[in-house]
Amino acid sequence: MIEWLYLAVQAAALAMSAWFFVDTARSRQVGRRHFVGVAVLEALLLVQLAVSIAIVPGEAGGGKALFFSYLVTTILVPVAACFWGSIDRSRWGIGTVAASGLIVAALLLRVHQIWELQIHV
Amino acid sequence: MSETGSAEAAPRSLAAGFGRLIVLVYVVFAVSAGARALFQVATKFGDAPVSFALSAIAAVIYLVAAVAIIRGAGRLAMLAVGIEMAGVLAVGGLSFAVPQWFPEPSVWSHFGSGYGYVPLVLPAVGLVYLLKRRSG
Repeated sequence: MIEWLYLAVQAAALAMSAWFFVDTARSRQVGRRHFVGVAVLEALLLVQLAVSIAIVPGEAGGGKALFFSYLVTTILVPVAACFWGSIDRSRWGIGTVAASGLIVAALLLRVHQIWELQIHV
Repeated sequence: MSETGSAEAAPRSLAAGFGRLIVLVYVVFAVSAGARALFQVATKFGDAPVSFALSAIAAVIYLVAAVAIIRGAGRLAMLAVGIEMAGVLAVGGLSFAVPQWFPEPSVWSHFGSGYGYVPLVLPAVGLVYLLKRRSG
């Protein structure tokens, strides 16, 4: 993993989560701007995936299947949260998508751990 | 305020409102604990059978809780979340008392410290939510 890219994706996930939780507190409905926010995070995650596909197979360590299964799960979580959250008319519609940002951050932490401890040795 | 959005007097689904966030977290935990348990049972069950079996059981309970909330089965949801609370407390305590049973961590060992203590917070939040919805 490229360190600055990893940190940029983490920052984007946490920023999206913070922004959406603010909108939760303000009882905002899920709107177009939220989908744009999720799309930006997803784009960054896909860049992370593309870079990983380029560099991970060439590394010496093991645990590569685990690495990619975590990374693909990470990419799917905000998408699932958008479908599941946006049908709710209460404040917790956007609150659910906000929580997915924290889940992405936690999963990325684990992806990075696998990279540091098992793959990039 | 925003909770009374619907015009009909139909009872609000358990999975609506805050329940929606809870279901998302439960599904994520069911999938991640389940996938991890399957992987561990398949590759190295003999290393730490207690830990891996417990992770698998935890995954099933997370799944039951999520499905029960989605289907509006309040009592089943309460039962699953209650077992989960008891499980994380018992396993968390045991993992400190008898560490040799847990050479590899399970979802619930050390009160879920490997998962940012979410496994401990989640059933507490779930129970409060379910109790509130039942009385309200």
